Amino acid sequence: MSDYALSLLARIGIESFVALSAYVLLLLGRISFGQQGFFVIGAYAAGIATAVHGAPLVGGLAAGALAGALAGAVFGVSMARAQGLYFAAGSLAFGELVRVALLVFEYRAAVGPDLVGPAGADGFRGIRALFTSGIHIGWYVLGIHGLLALVLVATVFTLRGRWGEAIRMIGEDEAAAATVGLPIRRVAVATMALAGGLAGLGGALFAHYATYVEPGHADVMLGVHSLAYGLLGGLGTPLGPILGVALDIGVLESFRLLSGYRMIIFGGLVMLFLIVRPRGLLDEATVHRLGRLARRGGEGNAEAGAGR
Amino acid sequence: MIDFLQALLDGVMLGATYSLLGLGFTLIFGVLRRLNLAFGPMILVGIYAGSHLHLSGVGPLPAVMAVTVAGAVLAGAYVERCSFRALARQAPVVSMISSFAVSMQLQELVALVSSSRTLPYPAPEWLPAITLGPLLLRADGLLMWGGATLMMLALFALLYRTRWGTAMRAVADSSEAATLMGVNVAAVGAAAFLLASAIGGVAGALIATSQQQVTPYFGLWATVKGLTTMLLGGAGSLPGAALGGLILGVVETETLWYLGGQWRDLVSYALLFLVAATAGKSRAGWSA
Repeated sequence: MSDYALSLLARIGIESFVALSAYVLLLLGRISFGQQGFFVIGAYAAGIATAVHGAPLVGGLAAGALAGALAGAVFGVSMARAQGLYFAAGSLAFGELVRVALLVFEYRAAVGPDLVGPAGADGFRGIRALFTSGIHIGWYVLGIHGLLALVLVATVFTLRGRWGEAIRMIGEDEAAAATVGLPIRRVAVATMALAGGLAGLGGALFAHYATYVEPGHADVMLGVHSLAYGLLGGLGTPLGPILGVALDIGVLESFRLLSGYRMIIFGGLVMLFLIVRPRGLLDEATVHRLGRLARRGGEGNAEAGAGR
Repeated sequence: MIDFLQALLDGVMLGATYSLLGLGFTLIFGVLRRLNLAFGPMILVGIYAGSHLHLSGVGPLPAVMAVTVAGAVLAGAYVERCSFRALARQAPVVSMISSFAVSMQLQELVALVSSSRTLPYPAPEWLPAITLGPLLLRADGLLMWGGATLMMLALFALLYRTRWGTAMRAVADSSEAATLMGVNVAAVGAAAFLLASAIGGVAGALIATSQQQVTPYFGLWATVKGLTTMLLGGAGSLPGAALGGLILGVVETETLWYLGGQWRDLVSYALLFLVAATAGKSRAGWSA
């Protein structure tokens, strides 16, 4: 596999985590323009764990997810009651707040002959745990996708359970959910922590892939893209946002002919989808129909087997 | 003390343009009940159009500013069409997301047309600076403050003294009642949107002439300033937005003076986070 294809695959895997985190919040009825903040918090935390404190790669990834979840919980406690545009504005402010805060954040320690750690606007270089532990980049990208599959399955089961039911009820009609006695605040804070953890894990994976993170990686465009992925790919299933990522990075970005116009096409696509198919390609109705089709196919085979 | 007063003065002059941005935001939000996150990038298109006229060497400052306003209104018409009129039947938040998608298009368009990232914008060289004892009133600051104040007076006259203004306030108070009174709500909404774009264009021209240059980052920056100002003023109140801009301007210049440049942005975003987290759902009416 060529280096370019491998880098595309890595980006699809990494951004899928951020897209999933924005998707979970969308189900809760919250529109976030700030998931890039949790992404970068996860990236910095993972880098600090491995490069500064010498933790193993797995420990770094766990630290990134944990830091993202913690930040998500803190964010959730302050924003749990905000809805609609207030939540959107608050999340936008949060993402930018993280970016400008990292511009002055310094945490450097001597590792061997070098000073390693976040150095304000100069970013955070030398996150080399991947290479010091001798993992080939191809295996790492495979690992990213393996982890993504695991997280995806876990998300599907979580969303089918009681918690997922509560998330969807709040997303549909918060007042109605409150009247049947749902603990809105608790569910909202927990879901925001989950979303923060997902984005943080994506950031941790990114930091070790790129070996370098900087405040600029908390670009609001990352947050907006991850939000748009769910809206393009569909809100009916967690596969939707990942389909959105694959469409954007796999198709729009790999056609180099389109390079200068990518944002114009992507923005136009989102705009058109919101008009003609507001809940994305794999919306709830389509997922339901596909599910019935699959079940009927299965029953058909079973009946055919019984008849014989 | 002198430093504090000087920063206060600078803050009021800068804040007047924030007030204009906030008023544009509030006008759209009040009449359409929707948030326009493409507000800054719309203005950005106008400023870049004005800057290109300046670069071609034919335009004096007033012509450059007029082109800036016209460009912002043109971009505003596009945003209104794609993200607001086409989505009028859907939930308000859909327009908000759509406007952000369109803002990506506008920013990319600006980057495509202008190969260089930073473009110059003409300054008002004919205006003198005024000294008030130990305090200095910079010429561009005076122009910002004077232009924005005139524009605000014109806007309030239009809203409170004309039939169109009455119609806009009626729709803002209750679009159902306005419909029953025979107001064409869709037309009033489009008019408010274009009016807001023009106000944004004026604010953009004043800010650009003060900074004498423009970068693509202006788009998101202006959106955030307008949004913060609107929420500071109570999300829907026009006098509140005018006051909110002054508060934001003064807080920024005082922070800049006492703590430095990076703290200014930090404090400004923290302020937005705080008002978003605490803002209630109650809304001040326009008629009072």
